[in-house]
Amino acid sequence: MTKRKMFLRMITASLLRRRSRMLVALLSIAIGAAILSGLVTIYYDVPRQMGAQFRNYGANMLLASSGEERMRMAAAQAALESIPEDKILGATPYRYVTVQMTRNQLSFVTAGTDFSQVQLTSPYFVVEGAYPSGSRQILLGKEVAETIGAKVNSVIELSYRPAETASAGSEIIPGVLLTGSAVGFNNNPVYVTLRVDEDLRITELTVNADTQTPEYGGQCAEPFFTQRFIGKQIPVTLNEDVDAVTGATMTSQAVTDAINHSGAAETPAAAGSSLNMTVAGILDTGGKEESYIFMSQEDLTALTGEQDQIDVMELSVSASSDELAEYIDAINGNQKDVTARLVKRITNSETAVLSKLQSLVFLVTAVVLVLTMICVSTTMMAVVTERRKEIGLRKALGASDSSIRTEFLGEGMFLGLLGGLLGGLLGFGFAQIVSVNVFGSSIQLQPLLLPVAIIVSMAIAALSCLLPIKRAVAIDPALVLKGE
Amino acid sequence: MSLLELKNISKIYGELKALDNVNIHVDQGEWVAIMGPSGSGKSTMMNIIGCMDKPTLGEVLLDGVDIAKESSKKLTDIRRDKIGLIFQQFHMVNYLTAVENVMVSQYYHSMPDEKEALDALGRVGLRERAHHLPSQLSGGEQQRVCVARALINHPELILADEPTGNLDEANENIVLDLFAQLHAEGTTLIVVTHDPEVADAAQRTIVLEHGKVAREVINENFEAQQKEWLARLKG
Ligand SMILES: Nc1ncnc2c1ncn2[C@@H]1O[C@H](COP(=O)(O)OP(=O)(O)OP(=O)(O)O)[C@@H](O)[C@H]1O
Ligand SMILES: [Mg+2]
Repeated sequence: MTKRKMFLRMITASLLRRRSRMLVALLSIAIGAAILSGLVTIYYDVPRQMGAQFRNYGANMLLASSGEERMRMAAAQAALESIPEDKILGATPYRYVTVQMTRNQLSFVTAGTDFSQVQLTSPYFVVEGAYPSGSRQILLGKEVAETIGAKVNSVIELSYRPAETASAGSEIIPGVLLTGSAVGFNNNPVYVTLRVDEDLRITELTVNADTQTPEYGGQCAEPFFTQRFIGKQIPVTLNEDVDAVTGATMTSQAVTDAINHSGAAETPAAAGSSLNMTVAGILDTGGKEESYIFMSQEDLTALTGEQDQIDVMELSVSASSDELAEYIDAINGNQKDVTARLVKRITNSETAVLSKLQSLVFLVTAVVLVLTMICVSTTMMAVVTERRKEIGLRKALGASDSSIRTEFLGEGMFLGLLGGLLGGLLGFGFAQIVSVNVFGSSIQLQPLLLPVAIIVSMAIAALSCLLPIKRAVAIDPALVLKGE
Repeated sequence: MSLLELKNISKIYGELKALDNVNIHVDQGEWVAIMGPSGSGKSTMMNIIGCMDKPTLGEVLLDGVDIAKESSKKLTDIRRDKIGLIFQQFHMVNYLTAVENVMVSQYYHSMPDEKEALDALGRVGLRERAHHLPSQLSGGEQQRVCVARALINHPELILADEPTGNLDEANENIVLDLFAQLHAEGTTLIVVTHDPEVADAAQRTIVLEHGKVAREVINENFEAQQKEWLARLKG
């Protein structure tokens, strides 16, 4: 038998036959390694997971027309070719028109869209009832539903007149919801909904400026701007009654025009067509969508007669901010009719949250490793105390200091090996469970994870043994002759 | 030929002189017993001879080398190569089997050899118990394993501190038989004991009192005893 074999036989015997004590050390290493490997797995997987997750909270890219003409559905579809298909989680078209309710002559902004895509790009939409699934079904914004007293399954007759007639023949009626639209930057429309009091002073105002540049014109939809109109009498004059948003004069002007030309027109449905629609669901978003009516593109076509036209397309793309920028450049370079824009806010916060999360993972890992080290070190210290006599005996039998050192280090490293293997696997399982429960998707085993977990565990175990070994080496062999 | 010589050895713990100017001479192949009341310095002396401690004063010549002056690393080497130790407490590594305990001694000395270790256990009558853990062995059996472990590397000198202190008559006789056999093979034996019967088996008894050699008794009957023992062994 070689010395190495005997060495292995001794340390395995020590671990296997003195189970209870070693189990504590093994367990603490395994738990440490489990947390380590679990966190590392999540650490590497979280950016991917979080990316998908964040995209779940809304679109991160917007397509709009770049010319005077309204964007064509086909043009938007062509633009999508610049993005790899598997990166597109959802692409939702929106066409906004103003539609009237035949019964009470109230006007509402109505969006024609694709409901299967809405659920992908706006998963936070809460719908009472259901999304429309057949023809002649609509989704009512909560505010609209409250205004007209509609419920799920109510039937509403909607009618449509071309925008020009709506503006021309409209009348501003106190107390009722008024709508209006006007052309803003790049010939893209801006929509307003508002109410006025007896003196025609504005009491409520919401603006839809989705077709405008978010950093500039888009600001006109923010409360800081809409608040400026409250209390102002119609007609409103820009830069006299209210100040324009800096850098967004055209959009500010469009908002003002839309307000001045808004109305709850009493023009009969004869001017356009009308349809009976069933309320499939009521939409609760906490945002401006609550004042809209949504219907399928086909129904909107049936109502307005116009084909294949959209104002914006919201995209949810699973990509890093660099990739997003690349796609946007590609679209803006290749498509002359379509402009692509980043919805910046979401992507930035995504990166910020990720880096915070990653430093948190680092911190927790460091703390766990230190705790593991303390625990293993304490256990090994107790082991040395417990085995004082044995160590003295080994020395009396001729063991040199370095043999004692090697034996204890060997036991420690062996524990590290077992604990690392066990913990590495446990940790991966733990990460898998977290991933499935929190993110709803499974993760792949990093091939390097196990070796790294084992090496780190062995290093931690070896470090933890240093102090106990020092104590073991200091034991006096003469103590075996003392009748203790 | 002289194997061990203690010259004016003293071991002083503060006020207490555990050993006080001791002079002892042991020849190669001699079997010496050491007796004395508790606290007279027997274990202290064994520690010094066994290279586990150093005297405060004096010289200890083992094979002509003054071990009082060696480094502790060198002492470990000498102990491993020349000395076999047997203790009253029959210390065994409690998670290793009997044969593995014997092999530990081989492991530190040179090469573990299971067959040789099993033969050594056979010599102390424990071939059948080789794969038992210490907890499965009686006190007497454990002490016999310790004897096997002490002789496995063929040491020049076997030091035994109260080897029979915890044994019954039958096991004591087995151990004494083994000592007689080792003596016949030429191994030098130094045995600390309280038991006059064990001391009487030796060639010479040194009595310590208060850290000094009080007297030495030569066993006149030794030759006769050995003959009788040999006869008994054959018969
Ligand atoms: N490390 C030490 N420090 C202080 N005093 C010690 C130390 N070791 C031994 N002594 C003292 O030295 C004296 C001799 O002790 P020793 O162990 O040699 O006695 P002994 O003859 O072996 O006794 P026993 O028969 O009880 O084993 C005792 O009085 C003991 O208390
Ligand atoms: Mg003693």
